[in-house]
Amino acid sequence: MNTILLMDLIKPDPNIAAVLPEMIVAIAGILAMLYDSFVPKQRYVTGAISLIGLAISAIFLYSMWGDLPETSWNGMVANDNLRMSFSFVALFVSAMTILVSSVWIDREKVPVGEYHALLMFATFGMMFMASGNDLVIMFLGLETLSIATYVMAGLRKGDLKSNESAMKYFILGSFASAFLLYGMALIYGATGATNITEIAAKVASPNFPALLLVGGAMLIVGFGFKVATVPFHVWTPDVYEGAPSPVTAFMMAGPKAAAFASFVRIFVLGFPLVASVPAAVFLHESWITALTVMAILTMTLGNIAAIVQNNVKRMLAYSSIAHAGYTLVGFIGAGMAKTPEARDAAIASVAFYMLTYAVTNLGAMAIVTLLGQKNDRRTEFEDYNGIGFKSPVLAFSLSLFMLSLLGLPLTAGFMGKVLVFRPALEAGNLMLAVLVVVAVVNTAISAYYYLRLIVVMFFRERTTDWTAPKIPFAIGAALVIAIAGVFYFGIFSNGVIEKFSKSAPIQSAQVK
Amino acid sequence: MATTVLFFLFAGLAIGCALSMVYHRNPLYSAVSLVGVFIALSCIYVTLAAPFIAAVQILIYAGAIMVLVVFVIMLLNLDEEKPLNRLRYLYSIGGFLGIILMAQTFFIFIAVNKAPKKPIVADESVGKTMSIGANMYTEYLLPVEIVGILLLMAIIGGVILARRFSQPELRLVVNNELDKRNESEEKDDYRIAL
Repeated sequence: MNTILLMDLIKPDPNIAAVLPEMIVAIAGILAMLYDSFVPKQRYVTGAISLIGLAISAIFLYSMWGDLPETSWNGMVANDNLRMSFSFVALFVSAMTILVSSVWIDREKVPVGEYHALLMFATFGMMFMASGNDLVIMFLGLETLSIATYVMAGLRKGDLKSNESAMKYFILGSFASAFLLYGMALIYGATGATNITEIAAKVASPNFPALLLVGGAMLIVGFGFKVATVPFHVWTPDVYEGAPSPVTAFMMAGPKAAAFASFVRIFVLGFPLVASVPAAVFLHESWITALTVMAILTMTLGNIAAIVQNNVKRMLAYSSIAHAGYTLVGFIGAGMAKTPEARDAAIASVAFYMLTYAVTNLGAMAIVTLLGQKNDRRTEFEDYNGIGFKSPVLAFSLSLFMLSLLGLPLTAGFMGKVLVFRPALEAGNLMLAVLVVVAVVNTAISAYYYLRLIVVMFFRERTTDWTAPKIPFAIGAALVIAIAGVFYFGIFSNGVIEKFSKSAPIQSAQVK
Repeated sequence: MATTVLFFLFAGLAIGCALSMVYHRNPLYSAVSLVGVFIALSCIYVTLAAPFIAAVQILIYAGAIMVLVVFVIMLLNLDEEKPLNRLRYLYSIGGFLGIILMAQTFFIFIAVNKAPKKPIVADESVGKTMSIGANMYTEYLLPVEIVGILLLMAIIGGVILARRFSQPELRLVVNNELDKRNESEEKDDYRIAL
């Protein structure tokens, strides 16, 4: 009784190769921290270390695409397209954030080593949220990401707005994490498993169907908070406005993508439709309906609230809420897909949408950061008055990003929107058709505030004297990458989409 | 029978302490009531044959965390707060949400009771320290490693936030408008520019 025989134990099954990209990112974070503590005066080296770590991690990630067993570490880590594509988005967001934040680091003397270390650990968390095939891993990834982000939002310690942002994000974020954890515990109680594959197998015959339902609802609350959907969006504008601009850029693109990765995996792969069991059908219908209502509310409220904003960061925050709504359309499409191929294509479209949003939004936030000056005090719409012809590079790139966020053809935003709307239409369901119509109408509404910024930049007179800022090298690099990305994903998107959706070992939880 | 009696005893204690925690205006009384909640909960864990969780609950929550909370309360030297009339309207909203939560709890209770029962095989080893340790280093090895990184990062984050202003140029920014007015067009000077 009091001894455990060695042969009774489960083999740990450590597969280092399967988590190598995550490990490299964490090691880069530790190296950055150590370097900073021995050479405290540096300002760029830790950024370089982090960028190199991210690049190596991306190379490993690319080389192992479709080249590993389905799951490893006793089913803890999945090696499917969902993981690969979202991990790639996480690495990209992190690298761009390092480039964008270099100006801010120079300007405000941020504790740079710690900042880069935190960013790396946040990336590590995001990658585990994408790769985790177990509720435990997902939750730990989420907490790693969240705690790092709480601190980063408050890095400007002397600014009351930044303090408010960090405090709000911390309290509400912990609250949401508690919901998430409670939901996970209930799902474990209902199915006796934390592994997504096992949960999917037990959905048809859970021990307590009611617990599964309540647990799912709690998960929707928790993830709904993290991706900023209505009615769990209240924190978003304040937090995004108060946080330092580069951190806002990171928060808009990174945690949202990572949370969508876990969200999609749990719901689409973990709660599949089992047509023969009424309770399972009810569960599936319930979460699809709940998400549909949330998507409609999110898009509408996000876009309408964005219209009345006078602060560019706040406007982008509401636009970020709206984009979470568009992404939900693809997510629901994945949930309603009839074949595994269609489902994988829909999941790939969600990943692709997050990638296009990240490219565009990080580009836009690079310019907001540069123009914001110290403490981000220049972020009102009137601060953009008439800069169009004084600083054509910045103004034209910002216009391009606005058009891409709006979803103009030939830009990344257009391809992303087309791809996330398509699976919902193909499902051939009236509710989803209505959802897509609402989404398209919302895209039209959003034209108002995206174009307003362009109008402000080019057609308003500036009363005060203004000289265009010099574009530092790192921001320039970020802008070039973002502009290239906007056109590349808008015009030659096929390669990326195929990479995201095809040819890899498919998650073992099949649609039955 | 004995377990039922014990359960109601400790559950009643936990609920009573929780109510007292919310009721008291003095944060110190609330903190002490919270310790009562933790102790009652850990007693329930013991009756559920989960001694490890019970011990952890006492050691970490009732011990370490509450000591910190009490320290902070004592150091901050809080005055007793006056009730905020401004926020009166929140009481009704809070009551409404509370009723919804209660209804939800009853829903779970009834639905679980109604559902066809499947006998769950009781596993003797579950909840024992040894089985937790054995699982931690075999099946759940990867989560343990991730927790390592999580703790490291939490330490770094805590140090950054608690450290004195290391950024010499920072001062408290209360209102950006003021800065804008007094601003002498300062030039940003970057070492590497295009």
